[in-house]
Amino acid sequence: MEFNTTTFILEIINFLVLIWILQRLFYKPILGTIAKRKQHIDQSLEEAKKLHDEAEEQRKLYENRQQLWEQEKKAAQSELHQQFEAERSTQLEKLRSELEQERQKAKVTLTRQQEEFQQQVEKQALENGARFAGLLLQQTAGPEVENRLVAMLIDELNALPETAKISFQATDTKKSLNVKVTSAYPLTTDLVQQLEQKLGQLITRPMSFQYQQDSALIAGIRIDIGAWVLHANVGQELAGFAEIAYESE
Amino acid sequence: MENGYSFAVGSLIISLSVITTWGIMLVLTLTAWLSTRRLTLFPGAIQTVVESIVAAIDEAILAVAPEHGRQIMPFIASLWIFLTIANLVSLIPGLHSPTRDLSVTSALAVLVFFSVHWFGIKTQGLKKYLHHYLTPSPILLPFHIISEFTRTLALAIRLFGNMMSLEMAAMLILLVAGFLAPIPILMLHIIEALVQAYIFGMLALIYLAGAIQSQQLNSQE
Repeated sequence: MEFNTTTFILEIINFLVLIWILQRLFYKPILGTIAKRKQHIDQSLEEAKKLHDEAEEQRKLYENRQQLWEQEKKAAQSELHQQFEAERSTQLEKLRSELEQERQKAKVTLTRQQEEFQQQVEKQALENGARFAGLLLQQTAGPEVENRLVAMLIDELNALPETAKISFQATDTKKSLNVKVTSAYPLTTDLVQQLEQKLGQLITRPMSFQYQQDSALIAGIRIDIGAWVLHANVGQELAGFAEIAYESE
Repeated sequence: MENGYSFAVGSLIISLSVITTWGIMLVLTLTAWLSTRRLTLFPGAIQTVVESIVAAIDEAILAVAPEHGRQIMPFIASLWIFLTIANLVSLIPGLHSPTRDLSVTSALAVLVFFSVHWFGIKTQGLKKYLHHYLTPSPILLPFHIISEFTRTLALAIRLFGNMMSLEMAAMLILLVAGFLAPIPILMLHIIEALVQAYIFGMLALIYLAGAIQSQQLNSQE
């Protein structure tokens, strides 16, 4: 337990030297390395923060752009929708117009078809009527009817207008004229005399009469005087009745 | 002449404690040089251990003296490292701890004593530093002065007494109990060595921090 001054002094020197050695070889390099590492970590963190901030900024920028794009898209969609609506209205109006025209055409066609059908039906009815009337008159007609028709013809010859009488007179007066008289039944002598006398009054030239019978006339007579034909028979009247139907079309 | 292991250089007698201290210094120097040759930002196992030791010491010092911790760090860290190794040296057969020598512990205590004043004056200036002896009352000046000497003496005696008694106790137990006792005694020795190194270094740190921050504490009061 004795105190040694030499040891005391040497230990003080030793420890001071040890502090200097450790400070130079141990603490300083290690603390420097730790500081560098800390600086490196801080720098990395700062860079990471910077990158994060940049990423955040980019994200905000992207969101703003996306918002603008969304607005532009909505505006374009709205404009396109309006164009579609306008085009649709135009096309719809055009289609309606075409449909109206088609409808009018169809209506006209239908009306025409109905009219044609009606005319055809009327014609058919007239023909049927004429045929039925013909059949009926064929069964009911007889010499009496024919006599009355001849008498009616003679009366009508008396009542001929002056213009018709002049046309008969204008024919050639020297040349003999063939007059063909066709009747459904044989004519009575009295009627023949009245007929020849009456035609002699109308036509001043010589005439040769030829009489024949035709059941198609049903009742009455037909007189062929050159180019002239005088009808006073049921068959001709029925044919004329049917012709009226044809003319009315 | 201690234990017969000493030699003389002229009129100077080099004791075993000094020789052991040189050996410890050599080992510490080599270890420091080898472990810090290739320091990288991405440390290996050895670098991690070394950095952990230094970082732990640095944090402990900064916790007590946050503002001036880096100034006193080399002194306190060297105390802790040197005392830890010196206290554990006696575990090696044939060697004795330098800290069982009163001359060694006295030298360290005197270094602490002067360091306290050196760092106190360096950080605050002579006038302000000396002023703290007159606070809170000039009447306390003698007690402050006595305290400075007694705590230095206590530092030296505490470490010396503990380490010497530890070695003596271990030797006595070995003599009495033979080979059955060494392992528990060795465990006790390790713990005691670490605790004493920690206490000496921590007291030195507190004394230094008190001297450095005394003016600041006074102004706060």
